[in-house]
Amino acid sequence: MEKREAHKTPALANWLAKRFIDRIYLEEFFGDLQEIYTDRLQSKGRFHARFMYWIDMLHLLFGFSSFNLLKTQNNNIMIRSMFKIAWLSAIRQKQFTVLNILGLTLGIATSLIIGLYIHHETTYDSFHTYETRIYRINQSSIWYDWNDQYASTGPNVAVALREDVPEFEEVTRILKIAGQGGQTIRHRSNQKKNKLFIEQRYFAAEENFFNIFSFEFLQGDPKTALKAPSGMVITEETAKRYFGQEEVMGKTLEVKQGDGSWKTFTISGILANVPKRSHLQFDILVSLNSIKERLQEHEWRWVWTAFSTYGLVKEGTDIQTLTEKIQSIPPKWAATTTKRIFNQTFDEFTAGKPWRLYLQPLREIYLSETPDQHYFGPTGSPQFVQIFGAIGVLVLVLSCINFMNLSTARSSNRAKEVGIRKVMGSERKTLIKQFIFESILFVGAGTLCAVLLVQFSLKGFNALAEKQLTLMPYLTDPIFLGIIGSFVLLLGFVSGSYPALYLSSFKPIQVLKGKMSAGFKGKGIRNSLVIFQFTISIALIICSFFVQKQLTYTSSLDLGIDKDNILQIHHIEQLGFDTEIIKTKLAANPAFSQIGKSFAIPPNIWDGERYRASGPESPVVDISNFRAEGDYLNLLGAEFVAGRNFDPERINDKYGVILNEEAVKVLGWGTRETYDTNSPIGKFVIQAFDNEEKMEVIGVVKDFNFNSVKEKIGPLMVIHHQNDLWYNYGRGRSYLSLQLNSEVVKNTSDLQSVLDQVRDEIRQIDPSVPFSYSFMDQEFESTFRSEQRMGTILNLFTAMAVIIACLGLFGLAAFSAEQRMKELGIRKVLGAGTSALLVLFSSEFTRLIFIAILLASPMAYFLVDTWLTNFAYRTPIDLWVFMLAAFSALVIALVAIGYQSLKAACQNPVEILKDE
Amino acid sequence: MKNKGLGEFEELVLLAVCILDGGAYGVSVKREVEKHSGRSILLGAVHITLYRLQDKGLLESELGGNTGKRGDRRKRLFKITDMGMRQLQAAQDVRQRMWQLIPQLNPNMS
Repeated sequence: MEKREAHKTPALANWLAKRFIDRIYLEEFFGDLQEIYTDRLQSKGRFHARFMYWIDMLHLLFGFSSFNLLKTQNNNIMIRSMFKIAWLSAIRQKQFTVLNILGLTLGIATSLIIGLYIHHETTYDSFHTYETRIYRINQSSIWYDWNDQYASTGPNVAVALREDVPEFEEVTRILKIAGQGGQTIRHRSNQKKNKLFIEQRYFAAEENFFNIFSFEFLQGDPKTALKAPSGMVITEETAKRYFGQEEVMGKTLEVKQGDGSWKTFTISGILANVPKRSHLQFDILVSLNSIKERLQEHEWRWVWTAFSTYGLVKEGTDIQTLTEKIQSIPPKWAATTTKRIFNQTFDEFTAGKPWRLYLQPLREIYLSETPDQHYFGPTGSPQFVQIFGAIGVLVLVLSCINFMNLSTARSSNRAKEVGIRKVMGSERKTLIKQFIFESILFVGAGTLCAVLLVQFSLKGFNALAEKQLTLMPYLTDPIFLGIIGSFVLLLGFVSGSYPALYLSSFKPIQVLKGKMSAGFKGKGIRNSLVIFQFTISIALIICSFFVQKQLTYTSSLDLGIDKDNILQIHHIEQLGFDTEIIKTKLAANPAFSQIGKSFAIPPNIWDGERYRASGPESPVVDISNFRAEGDYLNLLGAEFVAGRNFDPERINDKYGVILNEEAVKVLGWGTRETYDTNSPIGKFVIQAFDNEEKMEVIGVVKDFNFNSVKEKIGPLMVIHHQNDLWYNYGRGRSYLSLQLNSEVVKNTSDLQSVLDQVRDEIRQIDPSVPFSYSFMDQEFESTFRSEQRMGTILNLFTAMAVIIACLGLFGLAAFSAEQRMKELGIRKVLGAGTSALLVLFSSEFTRLIFIAILLASPMAYFLVDTWLTNFAYRTPIDLWVFMLAAFSALVIALVAIGYQSLKAACQNPVEILKDE
Repeated sequence: MKNKGLGEFEELVLLAVCILDGGAYGVSVKREVEKHSGRSILLGAVHITLYRLQDKGLLESELGGNTGKRGDRRKRLFKITDMGMRQLQAAQDVRQRMWQLIPQLNPNMS
């Protein structure tokens, strides 16, 4: 098998040969080529052999091509002559040929890349055996907007489905157990140093996980690998990381627990690396049985929404009916939870809002708009796919228009040919055939160039889009080749038919008499096509300007806190709860002007709870919360509008809380203006769960962005880091934030040495604690990563569209210059200056551009307006951006036609007029 | 069309076919010509020439014989015709006569 694979000759070349070489030659040619190929493979290597195979094949193609494609009985000669005429006219008008092929190449290449991208995005998770029968169970987003879906469910959903719904063959749960900073895992071996890594992609899965998902096992048994509580399944790459080349099965890895102890797991299975196109991405799975006690104790909880639940439905199950059926589950099963945790009945808790369960097909998970968050891997953006899909089609249309335009424009040059041929007895049908044949030839050449271009530029595009697109595997895929082939035929036919019908309709007598006016007939159509092209291009320019503008706007937005020069050290919790030692040591370092500890860092403050104001009948509201010490708020530069910060001197402060203005507002205590008469300070916030602890408000800070600026500022509560009445006291990640003193840390080498110092300090205390850090401004920036990426790609495609439109304009200008040569010559003789001619000539085209600007502006306005609704903070849609875009389009267009105008205007009239 | 004589490459190919005596097909002809002339030749050029010579009636061919290397495909084996032999001979004669007229090479004549 392997041997045959190595001897396989390039399939595309063979395909071409079959198409174009007469069948009687094929057997011996293939035989000869194969023979040489085998020899070369042995003597010179694969690349050389393949390369030479192509050369030989192309050579044979040119020598023996008979165009099987169009071949009927005896029109071999006909085809040859058609080919010859096409070739001659292509050669005669080199400029047009180059413009035509260039435009087609760019257009096809762009849409090919976009097509690959869309195909890539829409075929996630297709490698599972049961892909069509796997569903994720989502529920109503009970923490936020109940009408949205939420990808995580409580552990009890799986239990309920197993018990009540026989339509499910299997139901499995997967739990994210690593915190935000990842899980520390080490490999202890006697000989060498311990290997220690922080694993982000570390989850707990139930033992039937692999009954549903077909991830490939290299070693171990999928049925039992996750059965034992200490069972652990790792991927090949992870195994290499910890163990190198050693045998791995049965070896152990230790996972650091929240309390600092190490828990041992035994490796019971090795997986091939998880395919890139899987929405579940993991390096390590441990058995869910490892937390069996915790799970059993809390399994009834419907609000422990950290699990993802997947179900495999039985064959032939009607999903519609099943979805209806499972709606009875939440009222039946969640009531215990609402009673025990919130002391409310199910109906009181939902208050009429729908607590539904949803079945989301596996194939749609990656690319669906809702729910937009899950823990286990990448999510795609349906918006990008739509936007780029639209752009792909548009660019393709633009390049086809270009092609049609240029073909009709040069028609007058071929009018004489048509006339002569008609006089010689050529039928209209033959002429039409000729022109369509030529256009298919052009499109074919353009496609071939485009495929090459894509192959060479794909690497760059992948870097931009952070994807792994490949073209090569498709080149041997018959479906892909079929699509490309029919595309060439279709596009060639469509864009060739207009010029074909138009050109072949010339009346020979008129044409031969020299009435070239016939060549100008299509002017109206051509002009409207140019307008169309520029409308699209200008609209794209405007859109990409606004995308950039929005990105600059958000990054320069005032967050209400000081995000610059803040270094954040992670994994502080591993140094123990009391971190005064390290804090004092770092505070003594002159590189830092301020230092503070917190248990979450903006823009990643995700925790929140339900609270209400003290007093009767006060509504329950959701408020985000995080723990911090007073120094941290000082470091952020949070501005107090009422009350004060935590004071380390006052012991009672640890039970106080600090709110932001928004939180005060949602608790019903008024706004900043009313604080004088009705101060929130001294009031109490009550937990709407568990023990209903009361907490006194000691301060109110001005609203600042603690999440991405894509969102409006929500209500926030800062809890004292030492508050031991709070349920998660002593648990969770913590961070030390350090404000860099810009007088000491001036450049990157200073920064590096400061980082080294911090790392050494941490090493001294506990060498097993990993050192990792981040900068707050970069974190805020990275929340706009996908928008930035989109912006860059959009710029690229806009440039493509503009280039294509300009190629077309350039071609038309060249044609027009040729047509009007005599007119301009006469004008010059009669005394018109060069500049006057220049204006006269360009005005014909600038008029078109102006119309395009008028059409494009409202279109772009609508698009930009729609896009901006995604953002909480929007850049204004300023008029000047439209004007700038219009102006740049105009300049680009003028440059494109400038050369032709100048050439036309500077001609010596004697040269032009002397023939007559 | 009157026979216009042989081109240089055509002559080489014809000679190769004669040397190979029944075993002449694309690849073997290519190798033979490469071996004697010391230049590398594209397979396509050989094929084009072989077929041109066949069209001129100097070669004849039939399909036959295969090897595993070729993926079980037959070869087209070329053989020289009587006319081909005559042409080759004629070309050789022309050269021979002209060689004999080069004075430097024939001290007897001077």
